[in-house]
Amino acid sequence: MYRMNFTIKKMKGSVFIFINQNNLSQIMKPMESPTLDENYDLYFGPTHPGSGNFGVKLRVDGEKIVSARADPGYLHRGFEKLMEYRTPIQNSVLSDRLCVLEPLNWNLLHAEAVEELMDIEVPERAKYMRVIMAELSRIQSHIIWYGVFSKAIGFDTGFKIAFGYRDYILDLFEMITGGRVYPTGYICPGGVRRDFTEGTERKIIDVLEDLEDMIRMEEVDYPTLLGRTKGIGVLSPKEAIRYGATGPVLRGSGIKKDVRKEEPYEVYDRLDFKIPTRKEGDARARYVIGIEEIRESRWIIKQALDDLSESDFINKDHQKPNVNKEMPKDEVYVRNEVSRGEGAMYMIGDGEKTPYRVKIRGPDFLHMIPLLEHMLEGVEIADVPAVYWSLNVCPADMDR
Amino acid sequence: MRSKEEHLLDRIREKFDIDGNIQRKRRIWIKIDKDELLELCGCLKKKGFIHLSAISVTDWPDDNVFEVTYHIWSYDDKILITLKAKLDRENPTIESVTNIWQENAQIHERELHELFGVEFENNTDLEPLFLEDWSGPPPFRKDFNWREYVQDEFYDKENERERVYFY
Repeated sequence: MYRMNFTIKKMKGSVFIFINQNNLSQIMKPMESPTLDENYDLYFGPTHPGSGNFGVKLRVDGEKIVSARADPGYLHRGFEKLMEYRTPIQNSVLSDRLCVLEPLNWNLLHAEAVEELMDIEVPERAKYMRVIMAELSRIQSHIIWYGVFSKAIGFDTGFKIAFGYRDYILDLFEMITGGRVYPTGYICPGGVRRDFTEGTERKIIDVLEDLEDMIRMEEVDYPTLLGRTKGIGVLSPKEAIRYGATGPVLRGSGIKKDVRKEEPYEVYDRLDFKIPTRKEGDARARYVIGIEEIRESRWIIKQALDDLSESDFINKDHQKPNVNKEMPKDEVYVRNEVSRGEGAMYMIGDGEKTPYRVKIRGPDFLHMIPLLEHMLEGVEIADVPAVYWSLNVCPADMDR
Repeated sequence: MRSKEEHLLDRIREKFDIDGNIQRKRRIWIKIDKDELLELCGCLKKKGFIHLSAISVTDWPDDNVFEVTYHIWSYDDKILITLKAKLDRENPTIESVTNIWQENAQIHERELHELFGVEFENNTDLEPLFLEDWSGPPPFRKDFNWREYVQDEFYDKENERERVYFY
């Protein structure tokens, strides 16, 4: 670093450096600090605890983000290709993995696509059971959303409330499907894999009552939560449409659209529920919608439980072992409201037992790449997790 | 009483040379020439089909074509139209729809460019998305044998523990 003559001597355990007197000022002069007016790159993820299996490359100027570039692919498993090699009953197990946080909704979507393609009738009871399971899955997913969102902005209490209550629903899943997180294709083409056991209805109602306490706690406007979320990551309705936002993100910007109402599937047209909407379009508006949707889903489940009739839980012609049937030469496009937004599946049959092509449309493909890149522009570094988690992200259904 | 779907399909037929059918309520499937596609997309966007649900590509190696499908949804009419255009498999190029559905279309096209090798003209950003350092052929094409690829790339026949993967 310095060009000068010096001598080093060791005396009594210390090291002495002798230099010329003229060079002293050079050493004592403070070092120049590196210039901070230049932009630099900052990575958020993929190993950041608050990012999931996903990374964003941020171009930063001081504390402000100039531009962002999403770096997806850490969970790319190529499900669309894998499904071309498997029969529908195998694919229904695969469809769990489309989103770790809401596997039952994706189960349902896959089952509906196969049913429409192969013209399979679903018994009445199975339809109600599917709605109950899908809504439980939605509640559970929204609870995780609230939890990780709280954690991301440094509000640990919210995280603990959420994950504590989520376990009650996981207990229900274990009781009904056999798996706590992954139901291993519980909702399969033709109906559901097994019937509710004795006392399941009672237990579901008990869990829903417990959730009331959680919702009350989540609805409190904690100052930490408000300060970190109000006015952060504002998305206008026009931009929301332009970037292809759906689900809670779209409704958080004041556009009242929900596939369950627009294009009712299963028995949603017989059930009464509201679509929570907010005008603000900021991070707070979006997570408040999540909490309100938990309340609506509870109400949906209660109605479905009341209407649950006695009949088969699966179409007997399509129950195991009569499952490997040829798919007709046809194509379908099925849309569902998964908890993150619009999920869709495009399935083509070609007279074989496996689908010829499956295209999966995950809502987070648009939320996490173009929309996130756009919304991160101009925010502070500290607000990145707040914006990121307010979009209710799931890297699994983006990468597929 | 004619349905909304029939009415819409007739109005499209007046202007464009298409092969369309109504599959069921809320579903219209339209086959169109790729040269006319952009114009039809522009018209539909103006009619209220503002939400591009997905773009997809299907590989038909026997017919030597790629089929690009656009699934577009109208929030007002509550109808989903699927537009299908055929491309030559040897030279798969098609005009991009980024001028119509902007960033939404852009990211779908970027994905399909990577997975199927379809060229979208006038799309400014077609960089690799999911795959890292990928040198093989576009992996979602039907003639790409991924089992063979994985064997060749990642397993060693001489290795005693990996020999089981060769059958």
